[in-house]
Amino acid sequence: MAEEFSTDGMLDMYLFENGQLLEQLQETVLEQKDADCFDEDSINEIFRTMHTIKGSSGIMMFDDITAVSHKLEDVFYYLRESHPEHVPHLELVEHVLEVEDFISSEMEKIRNGDPVDGDSSEIIAGLDKFLDMIKNGGVEEGIEPPPENVHEEPKHFYIAPVATSASRFYRIYINFFPETEMANVHAYKVVYSLKEIAEDLLYSPEDIISDETSAQTIIDDGFKILLQAQCSEEEIRKIIGVGYDIEKVDVYECKAEEFLLGFDFGEQDEPLAVIDLDSSVEEIESKAEAKAEGNSEEPKETKEKKEPAKPKMAPGDFVIKSKEPGKAKKLAKDRNKGEKATFISVNVKKMDQLMDLIGELVISESVVLQNPDLKVPGLNLDRFNKAAAQLSKISTDLQDVIMSMRMVSLANTFQKMNRIVFDVSRKLGKDIEFEMVGEQTEVDKNIIEKISDPLMHIVRNSVDHGIEEKEQRLESGKSEKGKVILSAKTEAGKVWISVEDDGQGLDREKILKKARKQGLLDENKPDEAYADKEVYQFITLPGFSTNEEVTEYSGRGVGMDVVVQNIQSIGGTLDIESTPGLGSIMSLKIPLTLAIIDGIVLETGNSSFVLETGVIKEFVRVKEDMMIYEPNGDEYIMIRGECYPVLRLGRWYGLEHYREAVEDGVMLILEVEEQRVCLLVDKLIGEQEIVVKPIPSYIKKVKGLSGCTQLGDGSIALILDATGLME
Amino acid sequence: MDETSELKKQTAGVSNDENNEKGKYMTFKSGNEYFGLAIQYVNEIIQMQEITAIPETEDYIKGLINLRGKVVPVIDVRLRFKQKPLEYNDRTCIIVVNVKSTVVGLIVEKIAEVVEINEDNILPPPKIGHSDKVQNKYVYGIGKVGNAVKLLLDPDKLLNDEDLSIVEQANDLNMEEEGEV
Repeated sequence: MAEEFSTDGMLDMYLFENGQLLEQLQETVLEQKDADCFDEDSINEIFRTMHTIKGSSGIMMFDDITAVSHKLEDVFYYLRESHPEHVPHLELVEHVLEVEDFISSEMEKIRNGDPVDGDSSEIIAGLDKFLDMIKNGGVEEGIEPPPENVHEEPKHFYIAPVATSASRFYRIYINFFPETEMANVHAYKVVYSLKEIAEDLLYSPEDIISDETSAQTIIDDGFKILLQAQCSEEEIRKIIGVGYDIEKVDVYECKAEEFLLGFDFGEQDEPLAVIDLDSSVEEIESKAEAKAEGNSEEPKETKEKKEPAKPKMAPGDFVIKSKEPGKAKKLAKDRNKGEKATFISVNVKKMDQLMDLIGELVISESVVLQNPDLKVPGLNLDRFNKAAAQLSKISTDLQDVIMSMRMVSLANTFQKMNRIVFDVSRKLGKDIEFEMVGEQTEVDKNIIEKISDPLMHIVRNSVDHGIEEKEQRLESGKSEKGKVILSAKTEAGKVWISVEDDGQGLDREKILKKARKQGLLDENKPDEAYADKEVYQFITLPGFSTNEEVTEYSGRGVGMDVVVQNIQSIGGTLDIESTPGLGSIMSLKIPLTLAIIDGIVLETGNSSFVLETGVIKEFVRVKEDMMIYEPNGDEYIMIRGECYPVLRLGRWYGLEHYREAVEDGVMLILEVEEQRVCLLVDKLIGEQEIVVKPIPSYIKKVKGLSGCTQLGDGSIALILDATGLME
Repeated sequence: MDETSELKKQTAGVSNDENNEKGKYMTFKSGNEYFGLAIQYVNEIIQMQEITAIPETEDYIKGLINLRGKVVPVIDVRLRFKQKPLEYNDRTCIIVVNVKSTVVGLIVEKIAEVVEINEDNILPPPKIGHSDKVQNKYVYGIGKVGNAVKLLLDPDKLLNDEDLSIVEQANDLNMEEEGEV
């Protein structure tokens, strides 16, 4: 097929769509990793995902991807059809992830234009083994192994409708679910798909297209097909497919003479319907069916009576169990559609350009609207002002949209961490519960790229070093299952991302010992003189690892220093808290450069400032008699019986023309991490969504400022950093 | 980059060809002297704009301007040269320079012209003598154009504080350097 298309444009689409599918797949798998088995919906979803990937990879001629996805599809096909019990769930999860990894890495190669040389044979062998295992398990449990999901390209079957010696004849009975709407259309679909392979084809009822009553007939009596074709029974089943509409498909091979007799023959002569299938499988099947079918048989009973000639338990009977069959498929369709409509990828450079242009637009807008020519007395500007207001509104909206476009939620990054926890904990044999909080927090795309690696490292460390072995956990009275919490929030103009574990915590003594050995400590200073925080910071130094054993994941002493370097490169910090025996918390504080926050714009002197809305507890108008002045210059204020330190913004920054009297200004009560302070400003301007931009590095860091932003009129306001103000 | 070169063309009549830029200097007036700045550092020249002051910075750093969505710090050249500040008027301009990827606006009281100065006509600054020591730090040469003399500026030194004559500001200096990285 590939020769017919130019694959250039398709390749991008292929990579993009499959990338999304894989992400979704991983999410589904990880969501259910702790369950005992996959639920019906996810099995269907994984099956479909693999099917889609297989299909598109086939078209693009990536054989290894096709092969691997085909194999995994087989496994899930089996799971879907046979509902085997005792499937080693975690092993299955690993297999799925392995396949996902393989395809991802192959796709990465494709993206980079490298040769696609990954070897899928090992994974396929693994899957084969796994499939065999669950199949055997299935037989022992008395469950029918379904036919292999043999997938061959339909083009193999394109042949002229001429009977040859290789032709085989089949009678096919299809029962639809009684609730199926427009069964005739469904039947036509089957006929249509069979036409591709058919040399000759007859069906009853005959008029299924124009005669609407045929729908009822089909439901009541089943749909019968006589087929002459060169393919095996399995292939026919495949083509008819296992849609949500078909309840049961019976395929019987017959002789040419029987075929010519038409539909009546099969119903009269039952014994001839016995077919040449692999007998050993048949035996198992019929036995298994007898057991497995026990329940599901009953509702069908009535229908079977209407077709008395049909063997009740024919070998090769193929029953698709009904488990709300329609629902999952429908959902998945909707979702796929939604995704296509929701995302397009855009070059970041274009976005930057757009952003600059909007900036210029806002400036020219103010140039026009505040043009001195408009100040000529006697002009009637009513209509102009109306139009101007409309223009301002649109340009503000436009600005907001552009700025929010660069923001990406942390969900994907967190999902990756989920995967890492899973991998590492499995390899180390630890049982770990992973919790994500606030993954919807949005940060700038650049930041996401920068924090992904450091975060991965910290999470690994938590799982590897933090969480103890099971026995040790039980000994120290903790539950066997470890817990790692990854959380994100924005506060005080920063993104806080923390990794918390309930493991053993950091070993202060060990770190100190090592630090002394490496000559990091002051010889004359006793160990006790070092604060916990200082001690913990040692682990972020290059070459510092207290772990005696080097494991696959950590312990080489490279890592934490790289983590800290990376975080610092985007202006962030790493805080380490730890309680021996109870766990540790690693928090990243990253400034929200280019992030959008809700801010309150305020004015002091002639300067505009912005404060993040979140840190402001309340606004208060105060009276002079509420103030308390200390002789040393400190000021406090009593508000409703509570005493807050007062900070005058104007005085703090030595601004000019600010309002001196507290009664003229507004007090803002700020709260960060339980600390409170009252900030006196001249007046409030309003609330606005603002985009945080870094202050150019040319200007040295000013305490209490975390960045700047562009206001609607194009002027620049400085963003106050509440944490900085409190220090 | 296209935009920049175009602006250069407009303001200075210089093509964007690197060779053509050589030897050309943007000259401006500050105090009684005319200064020259090699043209390849100049991004564009804009009119005076509203400046957002930043507290707790050196007095010559006037603040930030919004240059088409980009936040650019501006410094007052007069104050940088320890000259008396002058009220800004409609002749006051901002020369936006790009020195090693640091974009900074220079507030100058008057833009003069673009002149071509041959290397032969550039003399090293006088080493001994004048009381005006501070200025010599930024001036790497003296260009002769006809009878007039232009002080040629080293933009790197102009922007960065490493040569502050007052020793007690050494602390500030360190911090600035950090900021630059």
